[in-house]
Amino acid sequence: MFWEQFSGNLIQGLALGAIYGMATMGLSLIFGVLKIVNVGHGAFIMVGAFVALWLFNALGVIPILAIPVALVIGLALGFLFYYTVLRRLVHAPELASLLATFSIGVLLEETVKLIFGSEFRGYNWAVGKIDLGVTVLPVSKLYACVGSALIAVLLYLWFKKTRAGTAMRSVVEDSEGASVCGVNVGGVYAQSFALGISLTVASGVLLTMFIPVGINPYMGGPYTLKAFVIAVLGGLASPYGAFFGGLVFGLIENGSYTLFALIPGVEPFALTRFFSFVMLLVILLIRPTGLLRAK
Amino acid sequence: MKTRLAKYYPLIPVYGAYLVMFFIGKNMSGMWQLMAMLAFYCALGQAFNIFLGMTGYVDFGYVAFLGVGTYGMALGITRLAHVEGIGLSVIVIGLALAVLMATLLSIAVGAVALRLRGAYFAIATIGVNEGFRYLIEGAKIWNGSEGMIFNAQMNQIFGREVASAISTFWADVLVLIIAAAAAFVTLVYMRSKIGYALTALREDEDAAKVMGINVTKYKIIAFITSAVFAALLGAAAWALKTPYVFPPEVFEIHYTVEAIIIVLLGGAGTLLGPVVGGLIYGVSKYWLAIIIPGFQLLIFAPIIILIIVLFPEGIVGMLRKKLRSRPEGAFIL
Repeated sequence: MFWEQFSGNLIQGLALGAIYGMATMGLSLIFGVLKIVNVGHGAFIMVGAFVALWLFNALGVIPILAIPVALVIGLALGFLFYYTVLRRLVHAPELASLLATFSIGVLLEETVKLIFGSEFRGYNWAVGKIDLGVTVLPVSKLYACVGSALIAVLLYLWFKKTRAGTAMRSVVEDSEGASVCGVNVGGVYAQSFALGISLTVASGVLLTMFIPVGINPYMGGPYTLKAFVIAVLGGLASPYGAFFGGLVFGLIENGSYTLFALIPGVEPFALTRFFSFVMLLVILLIRPTGLLRAK
Repeated sequence: MKTRLAKYYPLIPVYGAYLVMFFIGKNMSGMWQLMAMLAFYCALGQAFNIFLGMTGYVDFGYVAFLGVGTYGMALGITRLAHVEGIGLSVIVIGLALAVLMATLLSIAVGAVALRLRGAYFAIATIGVNEGFRYLIEGAKIWNGSEGMIFNAQMNQIFGREVASAISTFWADVLVLIIAAAAAFVTLVYMRSKIGYALTALREDEDAAKVMGINVTKYKIIAFITSAVFAALLGAAAWALKTPYVFPPEVFEIHYTVEAIIIVLLGGAGTLLGPVVGGLIYGVSKYWLAIIIPGFQLLIFAPIIILIIVLFPEGIVGMLRKKLRSRPEGAFIL
């Protein structure tokens, strides 16, 4: 009975982990290239969730088709905030960029609140369920996992095969060296920030395919914190590290929840969160390059 | 004699502002609550400035120290309420507990997080704040997520009238005293070896290390000092003023951000900055809440972005540059 529940939870955790990974790739990309921590990360996830919600409830567009819309909206927001704000802060002390990205997050939250109100919303996209024996997985969740894995693979190929992707990797390695070799570092900063935001907004759509309720302007906060843990798991500066970090985090989150629930007299949910932050600190101290990068 | 006192001239505008706030609150009816709020923001900025302003490290989990301070006072009051005739000394015990807990936590956090720099330090401190909150909730320490409400114990110890005077008047006076003490300590640090070491470290940590400065020692000193003032503030402004404590409230990250805004607005690393930042932030927050209730943040967020981009030195930072060679410059630091 316990093992059935445990393995069922792990399968759910792996599926959720794929979404977590996708939702963190943008954060890692931006940190890797610009060395800026986007503290307003969760707000962009929230924007994606509202894109999916609005397209589905108002226009009847299925969430899969909302993904390209979210990517475009994300690109636009990314370029907008880069050229108006972050361009001036790339080489400023951390204080400035941390506070600026936090304020951008607040601005997005309040704007969405002004338009949609602050009550919790949701949508219902019924496309059936698959019975896996130990657990039942709705088909919409399956689509979300496949979607995020696909985007991760496409991003990987884009980084390896295209000129723009190679330029970004060179800036991650050494921005001065890249600049000497003729890479337009300023342009790479703008593209990376926009791409990172775009991925993050799209991940908001995928997240609602996984959890289609509880959508509200302030839903992003917990995802910002989770994304930090996941990004650190994956090495903070590596987008694909972040994707695998997400898978690991999903497994650990659901696995440790099941185990903590066995201890009497505690709140397993809160202890799971506690455990994830302990993990964050331990990894930052002993392996700041991330779990998966052995080199 | 004159030259020895001249060292303390920069305290005059700071203490002047606090006295004016006290007398406006005391003598104009209906102003006390506003003044109390402003005093809290000034004190928050003054306390945070000792670490953030002087070292340049961004502690995104700063509110955790206010949180443990609140718990310190709450534990003192709830655990000692049954002791006969304890009276006002329970406040001293509560403040001492707050200081002790903040010192222990800041040593533990500092030993771990201060090894990291820049963004890694900021993320680690967020982790500490959230981790501590979920440990309290998850392991049901100090009543877990139910928190503690100690109205009844306050009334039992002090009697109804004194308890109400404490939460509506004396707690706020204590906040002003904490702010003044934090300003004094800031000045002493700035004018001593600690301040010079921290300036060197803020400008270039590696160079400071090579010059033979024990950077770890000075970072830890600033971190603990700042944490202790935060805990005192939590004990006075949160526990005594509103006699309850809930983990989601006292570990709310927005307070850290408010503190950062205040320090940055006034000018990081300046003595007068937190007062100017606290007053501007507090007044505009109060005013925006009246004219556009519910949407203050919509106006505030872009203003903050503008300030970061256009005036990264803060108001006092700019003022100090302009007045450096003039006699008034002696009063502004």
